[in-house]
Amino acid sequence: MRSGWRPFVLVLLSALASGATVAVAAFAASGTATNSLAPVESFASIADPAKRSAAYFTELGKVLTNPRCTNCHPAGDRPRQGDDAHLHQPPVFRGVDGMGLPSMRCSTCHQAANFDPGRVPGHTVWHLAPIEMAWEGKTVSQICAQIKDPARNGGRSLDDLIDHIGKDTLVGWAWAPGVGRTPAPGTQAEAGALVEAWVKSGAACP
Amino acid sequence: MTTLALTINGRAYGPTEIRDDLSMNDFLREVLGLTGTKFGCGAAQCLACAVIVDREDGTSYTNPTCIVAAANFNGKTIRTVEGHAQNGELTALQKGFIEHFSFQCGYCTPGFLNESQVLLERLAKTKVARADLEKTIAEALDGHLCRCTGYVKYHQAVRDVVLADPDRYLA
Ligand code: FES
Ligand code: FES
Repeated sequence: MRSGWRPFVLVLLSALASGATVAVAAFAASGTATNSLAPVESFASIADPAKRSAAYFTELGKVLTNPRCTNCHPAGDRPRQGDDAHLHQPPVFRGVDGMGLPSMRCSTCHQAANFDPGRVPGHTVWHLAPIEMAWEGKTVSQICAQIKDPARNGGRSLDDLIDHIGKDTLVGWAWAPGVGRTPAPGTQAEAGALVEAWVKSGAACP
Repeated sequence: MTTLALTINGRAYGPTEIRDDLSMNDFLREVLGLTGTKFGCGAAQCLACAVIVDREDGTSYTNPTCIVAAANFNGKTIRTVEGHAQNGELTALQKGFIEHFSFQCGYCTPGFLNESQVLLERLAKTKVARADLEKTIAEALDGHLCRCTGYVKYHQAVRDVVLADPDRYLA
């Protein structure tokens, strides 16, 4: 299924893109399975801080390109759903505030918590990421440049990103998505640790 | 288990203990026997199962019940198809649906009725220009599926109710 091989393909593409990236990408690809995240300590052997920083982000890219994240960071005005990232059914749209059209708000169906009998995921502030934060179809490198840009990351500083990815409860839903959906790789704490390590090592992009 | 108390068609229900995984549709149909609310697709696609939820500020909206836990309706005030007619007297909308032969099997009708009622109440608060009426009705009923009679007759029925009382609904 797409969620399984997609991060690997991205790693492979970035490996092909530059010789310097090959060692880093190979580390991430061979170091962990696609459904887990390499611990921050395992990157210590990469001496060059910029290469190490980029390697942290490459590993984090497994999460950022996962359907649990990209489905609600779509490139268009309709969210996607499922591990195969099909267009959301029923056909709902972003709306001006990212919470749906007036006649079909996200909260109409998405309640405060997952409702597994109805296969409906939930959270108190279920909504789409703003269009400028669209990740769907982007490479890890492109997402890296985007996520560092306050104009395209919700006005966040690099430090804000540590908490946003590591502690925000809506982001955290990706690791507890309810029945029928594969959780994002690793744990939210591990993802947060990777962001922190990436920021503190200079926030280099792969 | 969780505790549920809510108001349905002006009558208080509960507090009662329900399973966490009980859907609102099953609560209405199986627990209370209010079978006017239908179960169609079970996937938030057809809105045959939609009920009216009344907010404290006097506005209302419709909500599917098939994919939503009954527990999420705790403390809410809702209306179902059983709550429209008063003392056996059908509402103008219900009469309009009959006069226009808006439904055949009737499975989608509770959803259309609830949605149209919410629209009428909205228009009574915020009137709409005649020129915008068709679009307003179409947008309001969008999302409700009917496999028998199509959508035109529902649309015509709602339009007639509005046009019969222009001072109330039209700017
Ligand atoms: S039965 Fe609920 S939307 Fe179809
Ligand atoms: S009247 Fe049969 S589905 Fe609408």
